[in-house]
Amino acid sequence: MIRFLNMLYKIAGGLAGLLILAICLLISAQVMLNAAGRISPGLLPPTIPSYRDFSGFMLAGATFLAMAHTLRAGGHIRVNLVTQRFADPVQAILEGIVLTLTIALTAFATWYMGALVEESWRYNDLSNGIIPIPLWAPQSVTCFGMALLTLALVHTLVDLIRARKPVLTNPDEV
Amino acid sequence: ESWDMPTPYGDSTFHTQNIIQFTDDIRAATDSGLDITIHSAGSLFPHSEIKNAVRSRQVPIGEFFLSRLSNEDLAYGLDSQPFVATSYDDAQILWNAQKPVITELLAAQGLMPLFSVPWPAQGLYTNGEIATVDDLAGLRFRAYNAALEEFATLAGASPVQIEASNIPQAFATGQVQAMITSPSTGVNSTAWDFVTHYTPINAWVPKNIVVVNARIFDGLDDASKAAVLDAAAVAETRGWEMSKAEAETQTAALAENGIVVYDPSPELVSGLQVLGDTMLENWQSNASEEAQKVLDAYFEAK
Amino acid sequence: MTDPMIATVLLGLLILLLAAGVWVAVALTIVGLVAITLFSNAPAELIMATTFWGHSHTWELTALPLFILMGEILLRSRLSRDMFSGLAPWLGRAPGRLLHVNVFGCAIFAAVSGSSAATAATIGRMSVPELTGRGYPENLIIGTLAGSATLGLLIPPSIILIVYGVATEQSIARLFIAGILPGLMLIALFAGYVAVRALMNPDLIPTETARTTFSEKLHASRSLIPVGLLICGVIGSIYAGLASPTDAAALGVLLSIGLAWSSGSFSWSLFWQAVLSATRTSCMIAFILLGAAFLSVAMGFTGLPRNLATWISDMNLSPHILLMALTLFFIVLGCFLDGISVVVLTTSVIMPMVTAVGIDPIWFGIYLVIVVEMSQITPPVGFNLFVIQGLTGIDILRVAKAAFPFFLLLLFAVVLITIFPQIVTYLPNLMRN
Ligand code: NA
Ligand code: NA
Repeated sequence: MIRFLNMLYKIAGGLAGLLILAICLLISAQVMLNAAGRISPGLLPPTIPSYRDFSGFMLAGATFLAMAHTLRAGGHIRVNLVTQRFADPVQAILEGIVLTLTIALTAFATWYMGALVEESWRYNDLSNGIIPIPLWAPQSVTCFGMALLTLALVHTLVDLIRARKPVLTNPDEV
Repeated sequence: ESWDMPTPYGDSTFHTQNIIQFTDDIRAATDSGLDITIHSAGSLFPHSEIKNAVRSRQVPIGEFFLSRLSNEDLAYGLDSQPFVATSYDDAQILWNAQKPVITELLAAQGLMPLFSVPWPAQGLYTNGEIATVDDLAGLRFRAYNAALEEFATLAGASPVQIEASNIPQAFATGQVQAMITSPSTGVNSTAWDFVTHYTPINAWVPKNIVVVNARIFDGLDDASKAAVLDAAAVAETRGWEMSKAEAETQTAALAENGIVVYDPSPELVSGLQVLGDTMLENWQSNASEEAQKVLDAYFEAK
Repeated sequence: MTDPMIATVLLGLLILLLAAGVWVAVALTIVGLVAITLFSNAPAELIMATTFWGHSHTWELTALPLFILMGEILLRSRLSRDMFSGLAPWLGRAPGRLLHVNVFGCAIFAAVSGSSAATAATIGRMSVPELTGRGYPENLIIGTLAGSATLGLLIPPSIILIVYGVATEQSIARLFIAGILPGLMLIALFAGYVAVRALMNPDLIPTETARTTFSEKLHASRSLIPVGLLICGVIGSIYAGLASPTDAAALGVLLSIGLAWSSGSFSWSLFWQAVLSATRTSCMIAFILLGAAFLSVAMGFTGLPRNLATWISDMNLSPHILLMALTLFFIVLGCFLDGISVVVLTTSVIMPMVTAVGIDPIWFGIYLVIVVEMSQITPPVGFNLFVIQGLTGIDILRVAKAAFPFFLLLLFAVVLITIFPQIVTYLPNLMRN
């Protein structure tokens, strides 16, 4: 189970990385077309239609797919100057409260992001660019990412309960 | 009752000035019983989210650019179709033809249109005079929607995607060499810094629309409903006048700042009209029943 | 409840959540939810979903992961170390030595990127490990980085000047031009501060290489060529009209990959590490941006910033007193909201009073950017602080302390442009004639 979950975060994080690379390639291709258009106009099509819409949607996907992976890697920022002054047991209890509160929030957010997907689906909402993109598609990726973050938070809470000592790490200091 | 009203445009835009008066009128008529707070410059929701925010009752009322919805149904976008309605009179006829159809389309989403106000007609900005359509061939042409991309391609120009905020830099660096936009946008982006010539080809007269959530509107008492509808009717009339005045003052401002403002030659006008007719044929082949209904009603009334 | 009480409750809640160790993005979102639920009748949960979606796919944000990826690639290739060894002989005798790389690196990068978070992340990715390894003091490394990265907002292109220009219908071209001299002035102030600190306390700064002859310096400079090519390629693509600033970020990534590979110090596994690391950093920043956007929308619904601004407006102050009041107002607001939100939430009320007392809107735009730059380095909500904590693991409060002198320098810059408004208006006025 734990191996499966870790694999899931890793795959979603990897997909997010691939999306960022795809953004990079898509935009670069457009810049190349701009250059080609200068050198010999008409040889290649001048634009990749809606490349900005696609980039934006891929960015939204990358951000949310990476949420769980970033959490497990200690990448999300929190202030720990105050909490680290407390003894370990107090810190652990505090972490339990923080995790519970955050799980409540992300579960709540997942639910309503789901409601947004449902609404876009029901009304068949489309992006307004040159190529109409059904909005439920990128929106469901963001909703899935939020759900995965919730799962990873629950996973971390279980880790905390098992370890009975603080588990929230921060990236190493240099 | 207090309402929040998002609009994507800043306070100095005449559209925003108009809706400020609209909300003042309602406040006066209802003795502050209905108090609408305007949130300008996209401070509540990005432009792309405003319609859906009104639909799901996150806010009761909102303003947006009507032809943004043309991917949903081409009926919304006929006012941004080049060389269909090219004067305020035609635009008024088009709006009369559009209104019943889009009222029905929006009703399916629980929305009710209150009023719609046009931007000044769109003119052509270039360096050097454009005498015929052939002069556009080979130019890098700003295109921000499918219709403009088609237009540029038909004219033999290269469409380039540039966001409005990047216009001055794109001209300065040669990324783009020609654009069609309103005299208002021309003045706001100080077009005299980067182009020399402007001609009011009146390519199209696009509109903003103010919509209210139907369920929230139905929940108002009768006096407030009447106050909103009355104020909307007044705002529409006033907005069209403001738009005409804006077209004149802003075109004059372009000239004052050293841009050569010239009337389009008959050759240019007829050439553009030919492109417009070709585009309208393509448009019709994709048009829904509703969109076709708008076009028929428009040609009949014209 | 009265406005001051609402503000106190919300601020208290935010500080409590942050102190308890709640993730910054989550704390901002919770305060936003509480604000809308308690102090407005709008449906908070739907607005949260709409804001998370609506703000996660914007074109301006797209440049962020790309610039961060560029920094990660340079860090993992030999290029960033080479850059420092190339610069070391030239800066070896300047007071402050390689600390100036932070100042000038950020200034150069600011000419490419429109945001200060991207500037901090990209330059910091390379300079923090390098300078730490060479023994420079931590508080000066982070302080110069946090402070100089704010230049990303002032030196064109600038996201915030675009937002201001669009909201107030000012020419964005003129605003960009107006930002140049104040930008140079800030660079001079920052570099000057580093020099003064170094002269006052020479032991602070580690010695670089021994005296070198001019030809040795030139020889060492060969290692600057790849990074020089990269900068020329990215800036060049913008000025040749081939790319918008965001487009240029993508080109920067491709160029850095090419250079890293040709330097022979790169591999597929390093490349994938760079991608994943950039993905995590940009996810962290984007999540906080979404929380901040939601809090700012919530503030719009409660009307707090607008009421506060109206309260200042009703006092009918003289121009200089008004500017003092506004500066204080923006500093306080900037502690809790991100800079762009501060601008969009308050321009409606502030612009009329500013124009009423005869302040030039172009000048005011630049003033606003410098004030917003300050908000990037004030806790608890300061994006440069978050980015640097993400890079180094050093807590934001310690980063804020190290950045405090730069906060004062920015404040001093505000005083300077108020006394000498020509610093701002000279170039745009030149354009007018
Ligand atoms: Na910049
Ligand atoms: Na701050």
